[in-house]
Amino acid sequence: MPLKTLFIIAAFKAPEPLATNPKLMLWLLPLAAAIAVIYKATKMPKITAVAFFKETVLLFGSIVVFIIVTALVLFAVVWLMAL
Amino acid sequence: MEHFSKENQPVYLFIVGLLAWLVPGAGHFFIKEGKRAAIIFVTITLTFAAGLYIGSIGVIDPVGATPWYVYGAQLISSPVVLLLGHISAGGGYPVYGWPNEIGQIYTTTAGLLNLLCIINALYLAHLRSTEIAGE
Repeated sequence: MPLKTLFIIAAFKAPEPLATNPKLMLWLLPLAAAIAVIYKATKMPKITAVAFFKETVLLFGSIVVFIIVTALVLFAVVWLMAL
Repeated sequence: MEHFSKENQPVYLFIVGLLAWLVPGAGHFFIKEGKRAAIIFVTITLTFAAGLYIGSIGVIDPVGATPWYVYGAQLISSPVVLLLGHISAGGGYPVYGWPNEIGQIYTTTAGLLNLLCIINALYLAHLRSTEIAGE
């Protein structure tokens, strides 16, 4: 078995070291992309490359914007409570 | 669908649902929705693999501290989870903290997205079978 394959298999047997920092939040982006892709794949009546890409990007953007707005509102609430 | 009569519709739907669970996208492929099948297969497999990469196969734990619904949702992605659960059941792959949390979220979401795809494949198969029966 090639060494490269062994490294890939070994990677699935040990967790990735993830530090607690703001960058950790970026892990939500691939998940939001997966949700947008699958949702549009099941909802669009006919799939064409351009329309599918456009719709998926729009939904992905909407999810991310909504998450940011929610985070800002929660931050504002905590800030007001701390006054 | 041409090979299935109206009386065999439940069998047809069962086969579509089973295929959709066995391999993500296979249900759509069976009903000749090739593009959807490819998109679903790639996206769900990548999401599930990303979860395993982040948290290791230790995130699939049928007997450990994992809440039952997490394992249940993971199980919807594919029967491969049963095999992975059998391998990790001995506690040989411990995982804690953020890798465990994020790995579980990714693998669970992959399972729930596949549930959506299974339901969609069944819905499309039902529509096709009623259209053919109505011709």
